[in-house]
Amino acid sequence: MAPKITDKKRKAREPESESDDELANGLFDGVLSQSEDEEDYLPSDDDDVDESGSEGSDGSEDEEGEEEDEDDLLSDDIPSDVDGEEEVSKLIRKQGQLKITEPGVDPKPRDDDGEEKNYRVERDANGGERYVYDEIDPVYDSDDSDAQGPVNTIGNIPLSFYDSYPHIGYDINGKKIMRPATGDALQSLLDSIEVPKGWTGLTDVNTGNPLNLTQEELELVRRVQMGLLPNEIEDPYPDTIEYFTSIEEKMPLSSAPEPKRRFLPSKNEAKQVMKLVRAIREGRILPYKPPAEREREEEEQEEVHFDLWQNEEPQAPNPLHIPAPKLPPPGYDLSYNPPEEYLPSKEEREEWENADPEDREKQYLPQKYNALRKVPAWGTLVNERFERCMDLYLAPRVRKNRLNIDPNSLLPKLPSPSELKPFPTVVQTVFRGHEGRVRSVAIDPTGIALATGGDDGTVRVWELLTGRQVWSVKLNSEEPVNAVRWRPAKDSFILAAATGEDVFLMVPAHASVTPALDQTSRDILAVGFGYATNGQQQALPAGKEPPAKWARPGTKLEDEGVLIRITVRSTVKVINWHRRGDHFATVSPTGQRSSVAIHTLSKHLTQIPFRKLSGLAQTAAFHPLRPLFFVATQRTIRCYDLQKLELVKVVQPGAKWISSFDIHPGGDNLIVGSYDKRLLWHDLDLSNRPYKTMRFHGEAIRQVRFHKGGLPLFADASDDGSLQIFHGRVPNDQLENPTIVPVKILKGHKVVSKLGVLDIDWHPKEPWCVSAGADGTARLWM
Amino acid sequence: MDEPMADAPGAQVKVTFTTTEADLQLAESKRQLLVPADIRRYGLSRVLNSESMLDTGSIPFDFLVNGSFLRTSLEDYLASNGLSVETNLTLQYVRSLIPPTYEASFEHDDWVSAVDVLSRTSPSGRWSGDSFQLSQERILSASYDGLLRIWNASGQIITTSPSGSRGGHTASVKAAKFLTNSQLASAGMDRTVRVWKYTETDQFSGDLKPTLELYGHTGSVDSLEVDGASKRLLTASADGAIGFWSTSKVSAPEADASLLPGAHASKRRKVTTSVTAAQRGPLSLMQIHSAPASAAVFDPRDRTVAYSVSQDHTVRTIDLTTSSVVSTMSTSHPLLSLCAIPRAGGAPLLAAGTAARHITLVDPRASAATTSVMTLRGHTNKVVGLSPSPDNEYSLVSGSHDGTCRIWDLRSVRPATKDEGGLGSVSEPVYVIERESRRGSKKVVAGEGCKVFGVVWDGLGIFSGGEDKKVQVNSGRNVLAE
Repeated sequence: MAPKITDKKRKAREPESESDDELANGLFDGVLSQSEDEEDYLPSDDDDVDESGSEGSDGSEDEEGEEEDEDDLLSDDIPSDVDGEEEVSKLIRKQGQLKITEPGVDPKPRDDDGEEKNYRVERDANGGERYVYDEIDPVYDSDDSDAQGPVNTIGNIPLSFYDSYPHIGYDINGKKIMRPATGDALQSLLDSIEVPKGWTGLTDVNTGNPLNLTQEELELVRRVQMGLLPNEIEDPYPDTIEYFTSIEEKMPLSSAPEPKRRFLPSKNEAKQVMKLVRAIREGRILPYKPPAEREREEEEQEEVHFDLWQNEEPQAPNPLHIPAPKLPPPGYDLSYNPPEEYLPSKEEREEWENADPEDREKQYLPQKYNALRKVPAWGTLVNERFERCMDLYLAPRVRKNRLNIDPNSLLPKLPSPSELKPFPTVVQTVFRGHEGRVRSVAIDPTGIALATGGDDGTVRVWELLTGRQVWSVKLNSEEPVNAVRWRPAKDSFILAAATGEDVFLMVPAHASVTPALDQTSRDILAVGFGYATNGQQQALPAGKEPPAKWARPGTKLEDEGVLIRITVRSTVKVINWHRRGDHFATVSPTGQRSSVAIHTLSKHLTQIPFRKLSGLAQTAAFHPLRPLFFVATQRTIRCYDLQKLELVKVVQPGAKWISSFDIHPGGDNLIVGSYDKRLLWHDLDLSNRPYKTMRFHGEAIRQVRFHKGGLPLFADASDDGSLQIFHGRVPNDQLENPTIVPVKILKGHKVVSKLGVLDIDWHPKEPWCVSAGADGTARLWM
Repeated sequence: MDEPMADAPGAQVKVTFTTTEADLQLAESKRQLLVPADIRRYGLSRVLNSESMLDTGSIPFDFLVNGSFLRTSLEDYLASNGLSVETNLTLQYVRSLIPPTYEASFEHDDWVSAVDVLSRTSPSGRWSGDSFQLSQERILSASYDGLLRIWNASGQIITTSPSGSRGGHTASVKAAKFLTNSQLASAGMDRTVRVWKYTETDQFSGDLKPTLELYGHTGSVDSLEVDGASKRLLTASADGAIGFWSTSKVSAPEADASLLPGAHASKRRKVTTSVTAAQRGPLSLMQIHSAPASAAVFDPRDRTVAYSVSQDHTVRTIDLTTSSVVSTMSTSHPLLSLCAIPRAGGAPLLAAGTAARHITLVDPRASAATTSVMTLRGHTNKVVGLSPSPDNEYSLVSGSHDGTCRIWDLRSVRPATKDEGGLGSVSEPVYVIERESRRGSKKVVAGEGCKVFGVVWDGLGIFSGGEDKKVQVNSGRNVLAE
C-alpha cells in the first residue's frame, strides 16, 4: 500500500519537477557574478602599489648611477702602492686632460670641477661652440634666495621697452619669456568684478602678470602705511615689571619662631565660652526659641504686607514715582442694571462657568438687579485686589500652558497582545542531553520529531512533546554540528546536518518510521549515485578540483542511518533547503569564493554560483515561492533570479553585520537580524531600506524566523538569552502596511560565555517554537 | 464601616443550607441558621452532622458558596467578596473529598508512559467476570524501555514482558491496557499494537506471551483503548489515523506486507525475533485527522461509537460499524488526551486535555447548544492523561507534563473571567497531587524530570506514571465518603 502511495506521489510531483527548469536546469556554476553592483567594492591599492613600486625602482637606478660616480672618484682618489712620483705624474696627466684655467688651486676642487660638468657643448647656427649650462638646482643650503621660477633678467629698465615685442625679457638661460596672455577687455572686466583673493589691480612690473598679494603682504603694506612696525612683534617698549618693589609678598620670609599664642589655647576665649556655657545651663540664654514662639515669629515675618500707596498724596509727574495704577472706568456690563444685550445667554453663562478661571475672558458675569439696594457685595473683591497687587509687585505667576492632548492618543494604534493569541508564552518541554551548546534546532515537516545539533558533534532526534530522545549519532568528535535542517517534504524523512567541512544527509532510524518511508528516503538519497556513475556529471576542466565530494560516510555511520557525506572546502555554517527538497544551499562564511554552494540531491552535484562575491557571505536562502535566491553578506542582501541568472534586487538593511534573515512565506517581506542588536523588517516591494527597525534586544540577534504554517508570527533569538515573539501580519491589500506588534519575551535560557539563544524553529502548524541555547538545552515554548 | 461589626465577638451570619443529594436533605424548618461569622468548613460540617440537624454522625462535608468551595472562614469569604455580614448566604453542602494521600511508588528503569489497573471495580475486572479472584488485583505499567511490567497491589513485580528480540516491543511502549485478567494489549512507538496472553502460576510469578502483532499504523501509536466484552481495540496514532482492531486471530484481517518488519531487505538493522506471533491488520483504519491523533475512546454506553481527539484541534465522533465520522467539533487548541465521563442522562461528557494547559469538557451531542461545556484550569503544562472517577460522574483526575495530577469536581463552577475568554464556565482543581519523588526539592521549570504521562483512577487508588521512572500510588478509595 505504501509503495503505491509513494508512486502516486512521485507521479504527482512530476509536473512540478518539470518546472524545475525555473532553477536554470539546476546549473548554477558561476552563473551569478557580482559585476552589477560595486557598492561594496573597495578599490584595491594595486595602482598605488604599482606607482610606488616604479618610483622605488627609479630611485634605486639613480642611486646606482651615483654610486658608480662615487666609485670612480674613489678609484681616482685612493693611491695604490705606487710610489709618490708615479702618483704625481698621474695627477699631472690627469690635470692635463682636464681643462684647468686657474693655476695654484689644489687639485681636489679642480677634480670636483672636472667631474661637475654642468654644461653641454653645442653647436650654434654659425657652427661655433656654444656652452649650454644646466639649470642650477637650488638645493636647500644654497644661498640663492631668488631661485624660484624663471626670473626676468632684462635689468632695471622699464618694461615698456618691450611693448612692441611678443616677449618681455629673458630668463637666466637666455630664453625668451613670453608675454602673459592678456585677456580681452571683457575678461579683465569680469576678473575685476569677481575679485580674486589678494587682488590689487596692479600689474607685476617684471612679468606683466596681475600682481596678487597674499594676506600677510597686504597686512605688511598696511602697517607700513600706518607708520607702524612692519612686523607684528610684541610691544618693543613694555612697561617694566617691578618684581622687587611693588609686589607684596604673601609668604612670610621671616625665620622667626612661631609665637606661642598661635598654639596655646587662649585663656580669654575659654573664659568667654565658659560664661556662655554657664548662662545656657542656668537658663539665661536659650539656644533655640520654643517651637510655638518660633512658628509665630515666622508667620509674622511672612505676613508683612503693606499698602504701597497707603499715604499717597498727589504729586507732580516724576519718573521715579510710580502712581497707583488707574482702573479702567466701568462699562455697561458692570452696571447693576445693564441693558438686556449685555446680559449673558444661558449658553454663555454655562460656558463661562465651565471654563477655567484662567481661561475666562472676563472675571465676572453681568447681572441685572432692579434696584441698587438689591446689589450684593462684590464677591471676589479680596481676590482681585490680591491679583492686582501681585501684578504691581511684578510677581511672576507662571501660567500653565495646558496641552489638551491625551498622551495615549499619540501612540500608534496597536492591538493588545491578548487579542493576538495564540502565540507561545511559556516553556513546556526542556530537551536536555547535549554536552556543550546546542547550535541548531529543526522540527520535521510533520511536527512530531525535533532534531538538534550541538557542540558535542552529535545530532539528536527527540519526540517533540515529551522531550524523549529517540535517536542520536556522533558525526564529529572535534567540531560542533553547526546546522541541522529537515528536507521540507512529507514523503521523506531526511535530515541534513553540517559539521566542519562536511554536510551529512541522513535518515534517522526512528522507530516510528515505516519501512516504506525509510526506503523512499533512502532511494531519494541514493538516486544520485547512479547519476554520478553514469557519467552524466558535468565534466570538469582538467586539474580543477570539484567544489565538493559526495561519498558514503563509511559503514559505521551508515548503520546509524547517515547515508551521504558531502565534503566542501570550508566550514559550513548554514543549510537551507529549496521548498521542493531537491536543492539545498550551504554557506561557509570563511570560504572565499566558494562560500555559497548549491547542492542538487538528485544528481549529487555541487555548484558554486558566484565566481566573485563581494563581502563575506553570511547566509543564503531560496525564495518560498518564486525562483529567487537570496544571499546575505555582512551588510547587504542580494536577490538573484535563478531563471534569468541576474541580480534582481539589493536590500540594504543598514545593519553593520547581518547574522540571519528569513523570508515571509508570502514572499514579499523579509526580516533581518543583525549582530548589532537590530531586527529589521523589509517590504521587498516597497523599498530596499527597512520598513521597520526594532532594537529591543540587549545583545546580538542570532536568528530570526517566520512561522511557516499560516500564523502571523515571527521570532528572534538573541545572545541576551531571550526570544522575542512578534505578531507580523502581512495584509492581502497591497496598499496597507504590515502590522508588527511585539507580543512576548520568552526568557529561560541561561547566558553561557556571552552566548544565549543560538537558533529557533517554528512548529509547522501550531504556534509553538523551539529554541537552542548555549546552556546545553533546547526548549519548546507553547 | 462593616468591619467593627464583623470583628465584634459573636457576629453571626445567616446561612441557608441546600443540597442536591436526596439522602441528605434537611427538614424545611432547619435549613436557615445563624452561625458564627468565624466558622470554617469543619465547624459547618460539625453543625450539619449534629443531632439537631442531620444526625448523620461524622460525614465530612464540603460547602459550595456561589459555585466555589468554601476554603476560608465565612467572614473572610464575605470580606474578600465585598459582601455585608447581613447577607443571607446559601451554602450547598456536598460530601467531602478526602485528600488523596500518598501510598507507594513502584520503581522502574525508564520513564513510565502508561498505567492500568486490574481490580474488581475496574472495567477489565468486570470483563473478567467470575474468573477474577478477590486478591488478584494487578497493576500494569508500560515503560519507555519497551517493556510491560505487571505488579501486585503491594508493589512486587510479577512479570515483565519479553524484550524486542523475543517478541516484545522494539521501541518505547506508549500505552497498555488490561482486557481481562488473562489478556492485555499494548501499543508503542514501533507502530505496532500487541496483544498478550497473561497467565499466573501463583501469586508472585506469571508469564506474558505475545499472541498477536497488529500492523497498520504508519506512526507511533500513542493511545490505546480496549473493550474486553467485544474484544476490540481502538488506537490513535501520530499518523493521524484511528485504528479499530480485533484481538482474535481469526477475525482479524491480514496485515499490509509493506508495514511488516523486514519488508525491505535493504534495511540494515533488522530485528530478528525468535518468537513469532501472528501478524494481523486492522478491522478498519480511519485516516480522519490531519495532524497526529492523540487519543480515542469508546462511548461508555454504546461500544459501536467512539470519540477521537487530535492535535488538529478537533474532536470527532466515529461510528465504528461503518467506520465513518459522524460529527466533528472544533476547539481552539491541540488536544492531547481524552476520557469519557458517563452521564446518567445519555451521551457522555468528553474531557479533552489540551496543549494549552487546560481541560475542555465537550458535549458530543449534536443537539448541544455549545460544544464546550466547561474549562478546567490549573495545570501549567500539557494535559496528557485523564481518567474519570470510578465512583461518581462528576469528578476526574488529570495528569500533566507539569508533574502533577489534579482532581477536579465538576460541580464546583464559576463563570470565566475576562482573561480566560469570558465565555463559558471554569472550574479549578480540588486537590493537586505532586510527584513524591519531587517532594521537598526545588520547583522545576516546565515539570522537567517529573512529567506525568499516564494516570488512572480506580477503586484501588490513583496510579500515575511519569518521567521520574515511578508509578506513584495515591489513595483514591475514600475520596468520597459514603
